Amino acid sequence: MATDDGMTAPRAVSGQAPDVFRRGAWVPMRQYPDSEEVDFVIVGTGAGGGTLACKLAEHGFSVVAMDAGPYWRPLEDFASDEAEQQKLYWRDERIVDGDNPIDMGGNNSGKSVGGSTVHFAMVSLRFRPEWFKARTKLGYAVDWPIDWREMWHYYTEVEQALAISGPVSYPWGPHRPRYPRRPHPMSAAGEFLASSAEKMGIGWSSTPIATLSAPRGLAPPCVYRGFCVIGCSTNAKQSVLNTWLPRALDANAEIRDLAMVSRIEMGSRGLATGVHYYRDGRWRFQKAKNVVVAGYAVETPRLLLNSACAQFPDGLANSSGLVGKNLMPQSNHGVYGLVDQEIRWYKAPPSLSITEHWNYTDTGKDFFGGYAYMSQGPLPTAWAGSLTSSRGLWGEKLVREMEKYNHQVGLKIVGEVLPQEKNQVTLTDEKDAYGIPIPRITFSYGENDKRLYEHAVRFMSQQMEVGGARDLFVESDTAHLGGTAKMGDDPRTSVVNADCRSWDIPNLWVCDGSVFPTVGGVNPSLTIQAIACRTGDRIAEMARRGELTRRTTPA
Amino acid sequence: MPPDFWRRLTGTRTREPSRALTLTAPDRESIDLASYLPARLRKLDTLPERAAPLDAQTRVEVARGMNRGAGVLAGSVLFDSAIEHYRGGFHNPAMFFPLVSSTLSIIASASGVGDNTPSVRRERHVAYAAAAATGFAGLAFHAYNVGKRTGGFSWTNVFYGAPLGAPAALVLSGLLGVAAERVRDAAPGQRPRLYGMPESRAIAAVTSAGLAGTAAEAALLHFRGAFQDPFMYLPVTIPPVTAAMMAAVAVDGRPRKRPVTRFLLRLTAFLGFAGTGFHIIGVHRNMGGWKNWTQNIQNGPPIPAPPSFTGLALAGLSVLKMLERSRRE
Repeated sequence: MATDDGMTAPRAVSGQAPDVFRRGAWVPMRQYPDSEEVDFVIVGTGAGGGTLACKLAEHGFSVVAMDAGPYWRPLEDFASDEAEQQKLYWRDERIVDGDNPIDMGGNNSGKSVGGSTVHFAMVSLRFRPEWFKARTKLGYAVDWPIDWREMWHYYTEVEQALAISGPVSYPWGPHRPRYPRRPHPMSAAGEFLASSAEKMGIGWSSTPIATLSAPRGLAPPCVYRGFCVIGCSTNAKQSVLNTWLPRALDANAEIRDLAMVSRIEMGSRGLATGVHYYRDGRWRFQKAKNVVVAGYAVETPRLLLNSACAQFPDGLANSSGLVGKNLMPQSNHGVYGLVDQEIRWYKAPPSLSITEHWNYTDTGKDFFGGYAYMSQGPLPTAWAGSLTSSRGLWGEKLVREMEKYNHQVGLKIVGEVLPQEKNQVTLTDEKDAYGIPIPRITFSYGENDKRLYEHAVRFMSQQMEVGGARDLFVESDTAHLGGTAKMGDDPRTSVVNADCRSWDIPNLWVCDGSVFPTVGGVNPSLTIQAIACRTGDRIAEMARRGELTRRTTPA
Repeated sequence: MPPDFWRRLTGTRTREPSRALTLTAPDRESIDLASYLPARLRKLDTLPERAAPLDAQTRVEVARGMNRGAGVLAGSVLFDSAIEHYRGGFHNPAMFFPLVSSTLSIIASASGVGDNTPSVRRERHVAYAAAAATGFAGLAFHAYNVGKRTGGFSWTNVFYGAPLGAPAALVLSGLLGVAAERVRDAAPGQRPRLYGMPESRAIAAVTSAGLAGTAAEAALLHFRGAFQDPFMYLPVTIPPVTAAMMAAVAVDGRPRKRPVTRFLLRLTAFLGFAGTGFHIIGVHRNMGGWKNWTQNIQNGPPIPAPPSFTGLALAGLSVLKMLERSRRE
C-alpha cells in the first residue's frame, strides 16, 4: 500500500476494517455486494447513523453504513497538531447567509467514520425532562412526540455504552442511574468555574463526559493530554468510532468509508430502493429495503432535497415543506478573562465542570429556553483565532496577548435557539466536486435567542469578575445544529414521526440531530444517540409485528 | 502533654517492667487508644485476660511476627508515599516525613525480626512511636488538603485529593511495632495489658480496625476505578470478613484454635501480594503501558499499596499464635 493515510483510498475493503484499538491492524468485516438488497443502508456513521447501525445489526438486520469521511485509527492518525487535525471537519463548500451566518466546518460538523463524535468535546448531558414538552410545560416552541421517561431509559443505555464518567450524583433533574465511571480530577480551568459558581451562589458539577476515568477493554483511561477536540489519540474518548462501530462490525454490519451518497433512488411503488454513492473513483448504487439518512442538519436535508424526482418534486419526505426548515444552531457565546494564578487550560478535557443552573431555573429570566455553561480550554491556534476575530488583535499585540495564554480562563454557553422556519438549509445552483448542489445555510437569531445569550453574557461576566478574572471579553459563536427534519405527531407539521420514520415514504428514515423539534440548552450528542437507540428498538419491534413494509401515515 | 510523655512513649520505663506495663493515668491520656473511646467502650479497660501467660521464647516469636507485619506495612508506606509524594512534587517539605519515618520503621522491624532475645531496644521503640506520630500527623494533613478544596469533602475531592486513609498504614505500623516491643518485653509469667486491654485482645483489635480501614480505603479507590475489573471486589470482600473475625478474637480473647480465622488471615496476606500483581497489570492498561512507566507508575493503581493487607494479616497471625500457645499451658 503506497499511502494509507485513510483519505486517499478506502480502508474498509476486502473483508476487513481498520482496528481502531491497534496500530496498523485490521478486524474482519462482513461485506455485501451492491446488488444485494440489504435491510438497511445508512447514510452517515456519526452519533445517529453509527449508533443505529450497531443497534440494527445487533437486532439481526443486514446493514451497510456509509460515510463520506475516512476510517481512522486514533492511535496512529491523530497528531497533536491543530492544523493537521482539520482533516476531521466537514470542510466542503457551503454558502452561509442570513443576519448571523454560521461559521461552518469546526464545532458543528465532522467528516469521519464516527462523524463529529471523533472530535466532539465529549460533554454528555441529558435534556431537562420538561423540554420534551416545551410548549405544554414551559410555553414556548413545540412539544416532542416522545415522553421524557422513555428517553431517560435510552439515555441510560447510551451512558453505559460510552462508559460515561460523571459525578456520583448529578445535582439537576430527576434521578438518573449512577454514571458507569467516576468523575475525572478537576482541572484548574474547571476549578475556576466551580469556585466562582460557589461565590455566585449557584450550583456546579463535574461534567458527565465521554472519556474514560478507568480502563475499559483495550481503551486506556484519559491521560489529560488535552487535544480532545481535535481527535483523541489514546482511545480514552468514547466516540462512535470506538464504541458503537466495533459492536456493529461484530454484529456483521458493513462500514463503507470515503463513500459519498448523492441521491436516494425512488421506486415505482413510492418506496426508496437504494442510494447512489461515489467511492473509490466511481459511482455505484446500493440496493436496500430501507434507507436511513443520518447526515446531520445540513447534509440530511441536502440529500433529501437533492433526491427530488417526478413523484416527489420538492424533495423526499417533504410533503410538510419542512425539510431544511427550522435550522437551529446553539448559541455558544463565551466570556474570557485573565487571572493571576497559572491555569494551563489546554490540559485535560476543556469542559470538566458545568453549571446547568439556567437550564433548571425558570425565574429571573427574560427569555424562553435555557443554557448551560462549561469551563473552557481552547488550544493555542484556536485561541489566537479568538483573539484576532473577537478583539481584532494582530502582530505585536497578538503576540503579547498570547503570552498570557496560561493564565486565561473562560466560560462558554450551550444556549437554546428557538425554531424559526426562515432559518433553513436550501440547495443552490452551484455544484461541488461530486456534482452535488452546494447547500445554502441561512440563519438569523430571533429576539428570544438574543435575550438568552445577552443574559448569559451578563451573568457569566459577573461570575468571571467575582471569580477574580479581569480584562474580560466576549466571543460570539455557535455550536451544534438541529431541526431540519423535525419529528412530530402530525405529518403536516413534521418530517418524521417519533420513530424517525418519514411520514411520506415508509422505508425512509432520518436519524440524527435534524429530527430535534427543539435543541434545549445542552450538547446534543447523548440525545442523538438515545434517539438512535430508541429507533433501533422500535424498528426491531415493528419488524416483529410485520409493520416495516406497511405505511404508517394516518388514514 | 504530660512531662514524661516521650519517656513513656519511647519505652524508657521498660527497664522497670512491672511499672511500665501497668500504665498510669497520664499514659492513658497520651497514648491509650481506649481513653479516647466513648465511656461504654472504655470498659475495655477492665476486660479480663483470658489467656495464660506466655513463656519468653513464645513472646519473642510473637514479637518477631509482629515486627514483620509492622515492617511490611512500613515498606508499603515507604514506596507508596515515595511515588505519591514525588507525584505531588514534594510541594510541602513535610511530605518527606513519611519516607524518613517509614524507613526507620523498616529498620526497626528488620532489627526486631533478627532479634531473638527478649530484651527491648529503645531505638526500635522510638522509631515505631515516631511512625505512629507521623501517621497521625499525615492523617490531619491529608484531611486538611481535601477539606480546603472547592466543594470540601465531596466525592471528587476525596477521590483525587490526598488519600484520607493512606497515612493510617504508618500509624498501624507504629502501633503494631510498639506492641511488638511490649510483647517482647513482658516479664515471664506476666499477662501484660496494652492500650488498656489485655495484649492479645488489643493487638487483635488494632489488626481488625486496620484491616477494616484498609478495606475501606480500597473500597473508595476501587469505587473511583468503577470496579472496572471484577478482581477489584476481592479486597473489599475478604479483608472485611477477616476484620470481623479479628474483632471476634478481640471480644472473645479465649485461648483456642481458630482455623477459619487463620485461613482468612493467610488468604488476606496472600491477597496483599496478589493485589500488587493486579496493580502491575493495571499500570500496563494505562496509555503506553509499561513502556511509559515513568508516567504510568504514578498514574496507574498504586503498586505498593496492597501489601498493607499482608502486614496486618501477619500481625493477626501473631495474635493467633499468642492465643494458641497460651492454650497449651
